[in-house]
Amino acid sequence: MGTRVTNPRTMTDDRTRQGSARVNRRRFLAGAGAAGATGLAGCLDSITGGSGGEGPIRLGGVYLLSGIAEALGAASRAAAEVAVDVINEDGGILGREVTAQFRDHGENPQQQIRSLVQEENVDAMLGLTSSGVTLASGPTVEQLGVPFTLTDIGTPFITEHDVDTYGDYYEDEGGTAAGVNNLFRTNANTSITTYGMAKWAVDNLDVTRVANIGPDYAYGTQTWDYFKAYSEGLGADYEYVESVFPSLGASDMTPQINQVLSAEPELVFTSFWAGDAVTFVQQASEQGLFDQVTDVFDTIGADPTVFSALGDTMPEGFHYSGWYWHSAYDNDNNQNFLDAYANAYEGTDTILIPSFTGGSTWAAVFIYKQAMEAAGSTNPDDVIAEMEGLTFAEDPRGSITLDADSHQASAPMVIGETSRDDDVPYDGVGLTNTETYTLDRSTATDLLEGSDLPPGV
Amino acid sequence: MSVESSVRGMDTRQRNVLLGVAAVLAIVAPFMVGAFQTALLAEVLMFAVFATAFNLLYGYTGLLSFGHAMFVATAAYMVAKVFRLVGPAIGLEAFGGLEVLATLVVAVVLGTVLTTLLAVGIGYLSVQLTEIYFAMITLSFSMAIYVLFNQDIMRQVAEAFGFGGVADLVATNGSDGLTISFNALGEVDLFGFTFRLVDISSFVAVYFVCLLLFVVSMYALWRVVNSPFGMTCKAIRENPGRAEALGIDVTAHSWKTFIISGAFSGLAGSMIGVIRSGALPTLGYWTTSAEPVIMTVIGGPYYFLGPLAGAFTFRYLRWIIDTLGFGENWQFLFGTLLLVVVLFARGGIAGAIVRVRDRIRQRGGGDETSAPEPAVEGSD
Repeated sequence: MGTRVTNPRTMTDDRTRQGSARVNRRRFLAGAGAAGATGLAGCLDSITGGSGGEGPIRLGGVYLLSGIAEALGAASRAAAEVAVDVINEDGGILGREVTAQFRDHGENPQQQIRSLVQEENVDAMLGLTSSGVTLASGPTVEQLGVPFTLTDIGTPFITEHDVDTYGDYYEDEGGTAAGVNNLFRTNANTSITTYGMAKWAVDNLDVTRVANIGPDYAYGTQTWDYFKAYSEGLGADYEYVESVFPSLGASDMTPQINQVLSAEPELVFTSFWAGDAVTFVQQASEQGLFDQVTDVFDTIGADPTVFSALGDTMPEGFHYSGWYWHSAYDNDNNQNFLDAYANAYEGTDTILIPSFTGGSTWAAVFIYKQAMEAAGSTNPDDVIAEMEGLTFAEDPRGSITLDADSHQASAPMVIGETSRDDDVPYDGVGLTNTETYTLDRSTATDLLEGSDLPPGV
Repeated sequence: MSVESSVRGMDTRQRNVLLGVAAVLAIVAPFMVGAFQTALLAEVLMFAVFATAFNLLYGYTGLLSFGHAMFVATAAYMVAKVFRLVGPAIGLEAFGGLEVLATLVVAVVLGTVLTTLLAVGIGYLSVQLTEIYFAMITLSFSMAIYVLFNQDIMRQVAEAFGFGGVADLVATNGSDGLTISFNALGEVDLFGFTFRLVDISSFVAVYFVCLLLFVVSMYALWRVVNSPFGMTCKAIRENPGRAEALGIDVTAHSWKTFIISGAFSGLAGSMIGVIRSGALPTLGYWTTSAEPVIMTVIGGPYYFLGPLAGAFTFRYLRWIIDTLGFGENWQFLFGTLLLVVVLFARGGIAGAIVRVRDRIRQRGGGDETSAPEPAVEGSD
């Protein structure tokens, strides 16, 4: 139906008109017509939120399932699916079956969130693999109103509600309080993670010269800011000798690694994850960084996919952190989680221990079960009310409580020594001598005094 | 053109009927399809304007820009800035119940003006080159602008030179982008009607703003391509050397076309910023620049409505792929479609529709309902 303007390819068209392309073209159009009809059918679906009181309880998840962080999102999805299976084997939620569907962030994650809530009528949401996307989705999530549990998100801003002290992230330039009423978080955020690292360093290391190397985006700069603030609060007397940020997904970090080395640090703080964590260790080993420093930290580098990809390249005796580590918790709940996970993925390509987002994702699904059964329905407001202050005693990482005000779980971070002594189902290192740290709001506020960073717990 | 359209195009009455049907559908659609689809349609309309504006350079003038995302992103950032900072600062509260609408007008106008100025500067430098070099220079500029947003460089520069006062005005919040609050896109009181500009449970208000801008933009662009100005564009595309010999200043004309293209891309980007309630740096990344290219190739670059057909196809196919649960593999499925179009239907969807219609007419002797004969099918 286009207004025909001109067509310099008329000759080609005339020729192909006689040729074999014609039927293909017609088939293509028929296919397009069928696709259009499917689309129209989708348009006519009802748009009311939630599944009401009948049929299965629907969970929706949005994670990065393609591109640079695919390993992260796929691991979270894997843990969530095992949790759903275990719940269904045990009678579901409120006696109803539970289904879960997952979407890739794509280039418009808010559209995926809206689609799951408004088209697929999910009762509750899990997700997100990017702090930037999470902050940008805040207003959308708030308007949609369904409970949304973050399982993989670092930024402390999203669980900070004190707009009077820290400014409203969404309304004031430079504001950092972005708390949203129906958002909860089950993983240890950046504030908790860096506090644990700073505390462990103050208690265990005798170093003064500290350097930073991290990915060049909000997460890299934020973790470094928080680590310095907590170190200062804890009375460490460090000299910060260098701070560099290779670009996210950089294939060559050698210039920045050499910059760090020439500053002669004793402790190197890093915040790489997934592919970047692998690249860093490979290239830092080649440059001899691990031989020249006392210790190397990584905020969320302790992950089976990272350690298995590195194999022998990952040196022993350095202190890596994460939000979950399979051998760090000696309790039955963790053992049940590990057994269920290994059973579910036996014989597949998936590494048979959960990733660093495993504990938080598993917990999020079970928290929905507990909250919905306490509320007696899937009504979003009732479920949210139950979740505020809820204690989930069966968490693999030890009992956690969702803070009634901040909505941040009292989840521990874990730090341990890279070692071959850990029993892992791949060729590479694990962690030993692990320690866990949690953080409460008053401690965080005291330690961060003097910086303008929000505690976010 | 006139001979061709009288032979091969539809007559005026047919076109008016089709336009009427499309108008009715566009007006009733948001009340029929629900919030999610309304938002999707609003965004598709804006991407259609974006792709049509892009095609002014590509299909009509023969210049393939690979950096048009810079206009969309710049406009979206400007809109976010106005809603967050400028609106409250210049006292738009005085509009009372119309504050949100007044802010929207200021935001869209400033977004479009800023991108037009950007197109003036970048266009002047870019049109000195042609072909692959033109594609590369537009790509370079857009990636530079992406980095400005992603690394928050303008704020850092402002602070480094002691202009702390303007730092807030040019800050882009790095990789986290600028988000417009729920309240800022809120209540409007228009002649006693109260509604939210962006209401996630309906999206109707913002849809009609988009529809209005879509109609105005498409009409304006249609007038441009069917004017002597548009004829000159085509002369440049067909043979720049001959156009030059005819006395056309090819560089100057390409520059003007670039500016018009950038301005309408900016207009579309402004509303994309409103629909998405903010701007993330990824909106300025080269993958966004590839979207109008793909839409235009799928739809048909040599037809005015080709990019529109491509925008609808691209976005709705993407939505179907997501809904079916193949979202993480959409590039593969789309690559296959693109391959089919490039190999077998180089006029794109618009070209295929025109050819099918022509064949029906030729064969049926004007009887438009007659189906193609089976014998023809078998000639494969």
